[in-house]
Amino acid sequence: MKLAVVVQRYGLDINGGAELHARYVAEQLARRAEVDVLTTCARDYITWRNELPAGESQVNGLRVRRFPVRRERDPRRFGRRSHHVFGSAHSLADELAWLDSEGPASTALVDFIRRHERGYDYFIFFSFRYYHAYHGIRAAAPRALLVPTAERDGAVGLALFAPIFRGVRALMYNSFEERAMIQAAAGNDAVPNVVVGVGSEVPASTDPERFRRKYGIASPFIVYVGRIDENKGCKELFSHFDRYTRAVRGELSLVLMGNAVLPVPDHPRIRHLGFVGDDDKFDGIAASEALVMPSYFESLSMVALEAWALGRPVLANGRCDVLQGQCLRSNAGLFYEGDVEFIETLALIQSNRRLASALGRNGREYFQRHYTWPVIVRRYLDMFERLRAEDQGGAAPAPMEPLPGWFARRRAVCRAGDEVVRELPAGPALRSGRRR
Amino acid sequence: MPPEFSIRSDSVDVDEIMTQIRARIREKRGVDYTEEELRQLAAVKLEKFLDPTRVRSDLISHYRRLREPGGAADTPPENYAFDDHLVYGSARGGSGAIITRVRRLLNPVLKLFFNPNPIIQVLNRQSAINAYYREEFDRTAALNYELIHNLVLEVTRLGIEVKNLKMRMESLSGRLDFSDRRARALESVVQYRPGSGPAAEPAEAADAPVAAAGRAARRDGGAARREVDAVRREGDAAAPGGPIKGEAQRARRRRRRRGRSGAAGQPDQGGGEPGSQADEAESGAGAHGAGGGAGDSLPFDSREPGPAGQPAPGPGDLTDQ
Repeated sequence: MKLAVVVQRYGLDINGGAELHARYVAEQLARRAEVDVLTTCARDYITWRNELPAGESQVNGLRVRRFPVRRERDPRRFGRRSHHVFGSAHSLADELAWLDSEGPASTALVDFIRRHERGYDYFIFFSFRYYHAYHGIRAAAPRALLVPTAERDGAVGLALFAPIFRGVRALMYNSFEERAMIQAAAGNDAVPNVVVGVGSEVPASTDPERFRRKYGIASPFIVYVGRIDENKGCKELFSHFDRYTRAVRGELSLVLMGNAVLPVPDHPRIRHLGFVGDDDKFDGIAASEALVMPSYFESLSMVALEAWALGRPVLANGRCDVLQGQCLRSNAGLFYEGDVEFIETLALIQSNRRLASALGRNGREYFQRHYTWPVIVRRYLDMFERLRAEDQGGAAPAPMEPLPGWFARRRAVCRAGDEVVRELPAGPALRSGRRR
Repeated sequence: MPPEFSIRSDSVDVDEIMTQIRARIREKRGVDYTEEELRQLAAVKLEKFLDPTRVRSDLISHYRRLREPGGAADTPPENYAFDDHLVYGSARGGSGAIITRVRRLLNPVLKLFFNPNPIIQVLNRQSAINAYYREEFDRTAALNYELIHNLVLEVTRLGIEVKNLKMRMESLSGRLDFSDRRARALESVVQYRPGSGPAAEPAEAADAPVAAAGRAARRDGGAARREVDAVRREGDAAAPGGPIKGEAQRARRRRRRRGRSGAAGQPDQGGGEPGSQADEAESGAGAHGAGGGAGDSLPFDSREPGPAGQPAPGPGDLTDQ
């Protein structure tokens, strides 16, 4: 079986969520199939500037084909068009223009996919919202699988993506919430799909004492891992934790791992370690009382899965549907919506050892059952088998809906993306798309 | 294919825990009043605070108008929904469509003179901006009202709490005064005139078995306590004179107090069994002997300064409060 993983950026030093996800999946599938990676020459997701050489190269033993981006992104034009398509009624032509300005506009990549469609059994596209996925899927629809990595933002409500969600051969979702959202937006329930997520390389053993000695941390602590950014909910976390320290006696502290975009408050019980290596990260999580995940927007939190793999409970922002759904499905984490709930839940985790260890145990089991690499790879292979069986059975896949004509594309009949998303069902999906 | 996710029924049910946590939070918030009652109280306060006759502001009437259905003081002009159709379109029914087509066909000619597209875009954007600010204004006004209302709600809640705490403090203060007076009264029950007091030896001799029995009382509870009383009665009979009589009175008062505190049956915050501290103090009194009576048998927590810490009454101060 020959597969192509198509992603906007690719490389060992590229740590974006979807890109890392794509690399892990490509490397794991390469053990069971022949895998090529098709990507652009860009490294920076803001400008899509061509920084890596075009052509073939090897990354961790995989063949990577890079294609140049036709032009860099103009942030002002992109911002203007985003405001238009997300905020007001518009035409399909406006949406296509928005996609073109978003990039990475690599026509060479799309041409390659079109020319070599029959050279691969399946193409696995990552990140529905970018140029390469939209045009690439249209070029090779009968062999296209999509890993949407969708968050709850206006892009999901744009009209141009609904035919894509309906026209791919299969969808590999990250979570039930993502599936419920996309199915509500695009009505693509009939398309084969599976909630699969991504695995993680968690060490078999950790050394919490080494971490404590290295950083001189003697007291119990909760840990946050990731970019320290207001968009990740860190400002709110600081405020909640400050209230916690004033409301609950004890010496629990908050340890932060990751680069800070937001100033870290000067608080005697908040400790910022900066960017740390994998060893320190895993040892730190293992040494902690719990991992805290304050983000509002996550399609799948890999660090939460890692904490569960290490048997630590998670305290998540309940306003993020995906995180709340993960906590409920796993029975391995508590969640909060506001400072009072933060204080209560954290105090409960800290004071009730039996509960904390039971949550951690459930988390470990949840990870073992759903997020180890053999399980993830098995789900991909099963999907390929299913599609192959459909092909051999003579069941022709539904053709991709064509783009409307020149005039129809210019009719301002599309609703604002944000408005569409606001009307989509919200809340954690407990199972099979059922929402609370 | 491996099974998809399923909810495990384990001993830990996160949904149930979260429900309990939220119920507990609700419970904590509404200790004395329901949310509805608080809102009513807050509404009364709001009227009072924002009385237009007392406050030089039309805030309340403004908000009232906003809160009324469809009520706004000055209705702003309707926003102009602008798009390219309006530039080329016509409202003349059937012929309008032909006019629109002709205008569109002639658009390239028009573009030879000037480019209308930026104007259309700017007007379209301005219309969107107007709509945005209108919506933002409405939202902010509603938010302000909510904010003020919630602040008043919180202030009301705090006011009630402060009032309750004040009352509680007054009550505690009264009880403390009473206890203080009673303690001093008990201390001054036994007074010695200089030179007329009994010899220490008989008292000590009388109290030695009391002390021994007191220790036994701690060990054996009620039976031993009865034994203490019996020994004390014997002591009263054996050692005539003021101090012994005073000791007997104290013992009677202690028994009465025990009876009362037993009826109340309220354990103190220090934990332990009801009355255990009193027993301890009582037996301690026996152990320390009749050294003037101060510090014995009063139910003070050992951590608090008891009457022993107070200045001892001087000889000759025969005041029974």
